[in-house]
Amino acid sequence: MCRSVILWVLLCSSVAAHEMTPTYPKWQTSMIDGVHKTTMEMFNKRQDVKWYEIGVFDKEWKAIPFVTSYKVIQLDYLNHVKFDVYITSNNKDKAEYICSLSKLRGNSNNKPMIASKICSRFK
Amino acid sequence: MNKLFTIALILGLTGCSLFASKVEAGTNINGTVESRCTVNTDTSGYYGNPNAYTLTTLPASAGQVPIIRIDTSLANAYKAQISYPTSFSSSPSLGDTTVWTGGVTVEQTSSTDMSGYQAASTTADGGAMRIYPLSIAGATWFGVSSVATYGGGQQKAFPGGSYTAVVIAECVAQ
Repeated sequence: MCRSVILWVLLCSSVAAHEMTPTYPKWQTSMIDGVHKTTMEMFNKRQDVKWYEIGVFDKEWKAIPFVTSYKVIQLDYLNHVKFDVYITSNNKDKAEYICSLSKLRGNSNNKPMIASKICSRFK
Repeated sequence: MNKLFTIALILGLTGCSLFASKVEAGTNINGTVESRCTVNTDTSGYYGNPNAYTLTTLPASAGQVPIIRIDTSLANAYKAQISYPTSFSSSPSLGDTTVWTGGVTVEQTSSTDMSGYQAASTTADGGAMRIYPLSIAGATWFGVSSVATYGGGQQKAFPGGSYTAVVIAECVAQ
């Protein structure tokens, strides 16, 4: 009982979180020939972060060219965003991960800030 | 009269049962459980400055260890990759080398079944990154210690100013 209360308190004490879904996205055909797209969703519960950078990578974590509305997305605190990522058909099978990385502002405190990164995987 | 009453009763009951089945059909609640990972920054942490040439997150030196909580909703869907800093993201101009050490440890878990996470973890990036396969759904708290020593072993004083280093907490789909 005591442990569950402590766990509940710890879970509720969280003030900052970053989330991206789906875990396993799929490429779909887009309206443009030779271009595929996938839709991702992101949620920002980090008050200290307003910007997230999107990246697409292969198995070796090398960057793969892609197109989205904004490569760095502005996402205010407690907001959701859905965004489409487009890739050419010849890069479709190379793409292994799609990631969002929190962009941190330089600040004047002597604090190690925490950068959060979530990567979904194409299977 | 009795026949009329019986017919009225049958019609009434049929109507009630139809109405009841309609209400029942409208109360379905559907849901799906999909894998999801959330990276939470529970404690941001800061450096203490126990002497002129050291910055450390150790509480004994007036620092604070950053705590990151990673939640997963399904087992074996994600791995956590936590890295301690190996450079400053912002600092005054530094003419000498800084030696970085640190470590990542599992501080707490939501289930005792996760007690093997630390032993099962592996390292990468020269030991700065620790990788944890998240084989059980639930929450895991990671503590990240960081020590920066200036002067390349000659204990030179850090230049005055503000220093920031970044801990990277990643949740990567398996």
